[in-house]
Order: sequence, then structure tokens, then C-alpha cells
Amino acid sequence: MTPVHFAFSSAFMLGLTGLAFHRTHLLSALLCLEGMMLSLFLALSLWALQLDSTSFSASPMLLLAFSACEASAGLALLVATARTHGSDHLQTLNLLQC
Amino acid sequence: MHTTSLMMTSSLIIIFTLLTYPLLTTLTPNPKSTAWALTQVKTAVKLSFFVSLLPLFLFLNEGAEMVITNWSWMNTMTFDINISLKFDHYSVIFTPVALYVTWSILEFAAWYMHADPYMNRFFKYLLVFLIAMIILVTANNMFQIFIGWEGVGIMSFLLIGWWYGRADANTAALQAVLYNRVGDIGLIFAMAWMATNLNSWEMQQMFAASNNFDLTFPLLGLIIAATGKSAQFGLHPWLPAAMEGPTPVSALLHSSTMVVAGIFLLIRMSPLMENNQTALTTCLCLGALTTLFTATCALTQNDIKKIVAFSTSSQLGLMMVTIGLNQPQLAFLHICTHAFFKAMLFLCSGSIIHSLNDEQDIRKMGGMHHLTPFTSSCLSIGSLALTGTPFLAGFFSKDAIIEALNTSHLNAWALTLTLLATSFTAVYSLRVVFFVSMGHPRFNPLSPINENNPAVINPIKRLAWGSIIAGLLITSNITPLKTPVMSMPLLLKMAALVVTVLGLIVALELAMLTNKQYKPTPQLMAHRFSNMLGFFPTIIHRFTPKLNLTLGQTIASQMVDQTWLEKTGPKAVTSLNIPLITTTSNTQQGMIKTYLTLFLLTLVLATLLFLH
Repeated sequence: MTPVHFAFSSAFMLGLTGLAFHRTHLLSALLCLEGMMLSLFLALSLWALQLDSTSFSASPMLLLAFSACEASAGLALLVATARTHGSDHLQTLNLLQC
Repeated sequence: MHTTSLMMTSSLIIIFTLLTYPLLTTLTPNPKSTAWALTQVKTAVKLSFFVSLLPLFLFLNEGAEMVITNWSWMNTMTFDINISLKFDHYSVIFTPVALYVTWSILEFAAWYMHADPYMNRFFKYLLVFLIAMIILVTANNMFQIFIGWEGVGIMSFLLIGWWYGRADANTAALQAVLYNRVGDIGLIFAMAWMATNLNSWEMQQMFAASNNFDLTFPLLGLIIAATGKSAQFGLHPWLPAAMEGPTPVSALLHSSTMVVAGIFLLIRMSPLMENNQTALTTCLCLGALTTLFTATCALTQNDIKKIVAFSTSSQLGLMMVTIGLNQPQLAFLHICTHAFFKAMLFLCSGSIIHSLNDEQDIRKMGGMHHLTPFTSSCLSIGSLALTGTPFLAGFFSKDAIIEALNTSHLNAWALTLTLLATSFTAVYSLRVVFFVSMGHPRFNPLSPINENNPAVINPIKRLAWGSIIAGLLITSNITPLKTPVMSMPLLLKMAALVVTVLGLIVALELAMLTNKQYKPTPQLMAHRFSNMLGFFPTIIHRFTPKLNLTLGQTIASQMVDQTWLEKTGPKAVTSLNIPLITTTSNTQQGMIKTYLTLFLLTLVLATLLFLH
């Protein structure tokens, strides 16, 4: 495995782990999600470069656009949570209040 | 240059110049003196009348007709629009008639409107109307007809709403414009069809090139245009409502000149209509229906101007019937004779109205024969001419039409309706004469009854002479284009006269009932139908707009709001997703960390197994 491959694969795995094992704050989960998106961006760019398939050169931009939408959706949910539950602590989300 | 053609062309140009000159003098910023209307405008029309007699006499003497093409207005590669004036036998007879009637009406209007502060503007509007009408009548192409058509429509709007402070006058003017606009759709459709299929708007080329085409659609368009302009059934309510305008307006526009524009258009297009049986039958049935319906409505009206307006409408229906019989020349003859006696009837009504201090209800008139003998005599002459009394003006045209009706191959229903309408003509004419001239006065004693003004007497006298001799003059000098049927059974020959006399007898009998009471309560249904104009305006003016507006409201609120917003758009997304979300949350009970951890462990396990 080349170093670059190792770099973004491990970034992805670490982000995924962080997303799964988030402790207190919802915000950290969102940050890990962003990290995962970044590693995927890297992967798509490398794909287009290393396999010489120029038709895929636009795909990183596409991913970036959609990840921005997703990040904003996540932040909106964060704000909604903060409004209804008072903070973004994850224990409070268990209480099934609407 | 040949003298005849020189004289005819120059007379036409002179007529237009004489009529436009007073208008051009109004473009200066100096206000005109109060005598401007009487001296400048009336003199211009009078001079134009005498000038227009010259082409008439040339036509009678030599049969000279002419077409002049003055100016290439707009020309493309394939389509030309020129200013082209035609003085064929229709316009060469109609122009002097229209100018004669207008001259009399202008002289009368100077007396009728003398207390009006804007009399000069009134005369200016009448002059613009006259110019538009002459443009329409002398037009050789459809574009000029359209210019004249719209011109007379707009001037009609301005003149009906002359007393614009009155709400009824504004509604009437709006009605006139809207109904005319509906008719204009037909005219524009016909013009578009001609432009695309016959490649010209010039009449000569249209008639020559139309042999191989099925002309039903453009002819139906022209018939719709005539229905709007000439107040045939379906687009007729504007004509009685137009009586809100001053009496000179009613006399000029809505009896002699403007309302015949639709019929005149059909007469001009008669070479196209000759071979198309559908169009002819449509004209016939529409005209028969119009003439009977409006004659029925005239039977129970109480406003003298409305009775005369319905009488006009009935005669227009008769002209339409004549066109449906493929006799355009008879229709034209009726237009010319009708102009005289109908304008005179309106002027007599105007004189009586002013004498009785603006009273228009015939139930409040009476005994005028002793008080305004000249006016009531001319009213009687006009009514007799209208009913077709032998050898007055109306007889030559009306009797010829009824004879043609009786001897043609047509449907019996149209024939019955027309004969019935002819008898109704006698009935309502007698009603007018009975209530206005006969009996005892039913108005206030101190009415300013004075008909001794020469400005009143002379126009009515001139039109009375016209009503008496115009029919004879025109028929003895014009060669008919179609030979009339000369021999028919006696009953058919006398049909018009018999039917009229029967109507007269019935009307006299009904008039005798006015001071007797045979039943405790009268039978109201027929009277209500006739008095409310067949409920046509009541239904159409309220019901159809309300239907359209509720349809619009339903579309806006139900279709747009409910469908697009709630059922398929944003709210649909919400309403579809919320049940799914509640189900999922109920199942999951919010233990997100646990689920994500399990997810990660499964993923790692699967990856490791896969790698192995």
C-alpha cells in the first residue's frame, strides 16, 4: 500500500471510529464526519490522477458540494438539538423528548 | 385626364379635406369660440354633402365607379398595404345619404346641446366619427375597413359616455366597447385568414383569388364581426344601453351610420358569400331571431328612446335576413332609407324630450299633437315609413325584402319570424304614437314646450322630405343587380301590408284597453319577459363573469395552493416523512452510541474477514 493510500484510509477509519465512539458532544461526531468527507475527497482526486481516468476529474468537486450540504444539515440538527434539549450533550438525546 | 374620373377623384379628396380641416384647426392652443361648432363644423359637413352629390350624379348619369390607390403604406415582398379608396355604387350612394343625415343632426345638436359647456368638443367627436365612418365606407382594403371600424367603435364609446358623471352612462359605454370587441375577434380572424390564404387585403384580389377556397371560416368570422357591430342577437344588449348618450349621438351613431357598419361589411364581402350556403343560412337565421326578439322587447318598453333603439335593432335584423337571402343590394337600399326615417324618429324624440323638460317616459307624455304639431306629425311620418306604408321611403326597401323572402327557397321558420316581427313593428310604432301624441297630457303643466326654433324645425323637415321621397328616388335611379321576382300569388305580394295592418288593428285594440280592466290581475309572465329584454342582460352580465371569477379563485386557491404546496411540494415531504421518523424513533429508543458502536465493530470484522 502506498503511503498516500495508507494516509487517507487511516484517516477514514479514525474518523469512522470517532463517529461511532463519540463520548459527550454531538459536535465531535460532526467533526469526525467532516474528516471522513475530507479523506474521501482525497481518495477521489487520487483515483482520477493515478488511474488516468480524466472523466472522473469532476467528481471531487461534486463530493465537496454535497458534503457542504450535509455539513449544513448536520449543523442545523445541532442547533435544533441545542434549542430543544438545552445543550448538545448526547445523554439528553436518550430521553426521547421531542 | 378624362373629366369624369378627374371630377370623381377630386370630389372624394375634397370631401376628406373639408371634413378634416375643422379638426386640424383644433390642434392650435387657442380655445375656439362658442360659435365654432355651428359655423365651422356644420358648414364643413354641409359643403361636403353638396360636393358628394357630384360623384352621385356622375354615377347616375354614366355609371361611373372608381378606385383610387393613393399611397403605398407598408409593403413587404409578398404583401402590400396601400391607402386605397373605392367609390363604387355602394359608397357613392351612401356617402351623400350619411352626410345629409349628419348635416341635419348637427344642426339639431346645436340646439339640443346649446346649454352644454363642452359643445365644441361634442361636435369634434361627432366629426371624428363621421370621418371614420366615411373611411370605412370608401375603403378598398380590409386594413382601412379595420381603421374605420375601430374609429367608429371608439367614438361611440366616447359619445355614449358623454355625461360621464352618470354611472349608467359609463356602464353603457363600457358595454358598447366590450360587445364590439367580441365582434372584432371575428373581424381580425377573417383578416388573418385572408392575409395568409388569399395573400392580400385588397378587395379585388380577394374576390378574384377566392374561387378554390372553402370560405366558411372567414365568413363566419365576418358574421361574428357584424353581430357585434350591428347588435345581432347574442351581442345585442349594448344598443339599447347606448341610449344613455345624448339624442344626437343616438340619431347619428346608433340608428343611421355606425350600426350599419357590420351589415355594410357583409354587403362588401357579398361576392365571397354568394356561394357559401352555411354563411347565408347563418345570416338568415341570426337575422330572423334578432328581428323578432328585439321587436318583442320593444313592445313593452316605456322609454321612448329605448323603443326606437329596439326598432333599429329589429331593422338591422331584417337587413341581416336580406343578406342571408343573397340580396345585398336590397339590404343596402334598406340601410339608406332606414337612415332617413330612423334619424328623424330620434330627432323628434329629442325635440319632445327637451320640450317636456327631459322626460323620456312615454307614460308621462301625451297630447303632444296639439302642443307640438310639427314634431308629432313628423313622428307619425317616420313611424309610417318604418312600418312600410306604401310609397313612403321604407316601403320600397321593406316590401321588396318581404317579397324576396316570400319567393325564395329558404326555411319557413325564418320567414315566420320575420313576418311576425313586421307586424310587431306596427304594434310598437302605434304604441309610441298613441302614448306620445294622442290622448290627454300626463305631464306637468309648466313644461317648456317650444318647437318654434328653426334649428329644430329645419333638420326634421329635411329628414321628413328624405323619408318620403328617398325610397322612390333611389329605386328609380339604380339598376338592380338581381332581377326581382315579378309574379307571385296575391297573398304573397300583399303579405307585408296584410301583416302590418293586422298588427295595427291588434295594437289599436290593445290601446283601447288602457282604460278598461277585464281581469282582476294581469298576466305578468309575458310582460316581464319582454320588459326585462328577455332576461338576457340580467343573466349574461352577472352570471358568466361570476362563473369565470369563481373558476379563477378555485384555480388559485385549490390547484396552486393545495396541490402544489400541500400535496406534492414542501408540505408533502413533511407529511410523508414524519410517520417514518416516529416509527423509527419508537423502535430505536434513542440509543445512538450503542448502534454506531455495533455498526463500527461489524464493519471492522467484515473487513478483516474479507482480507483474510
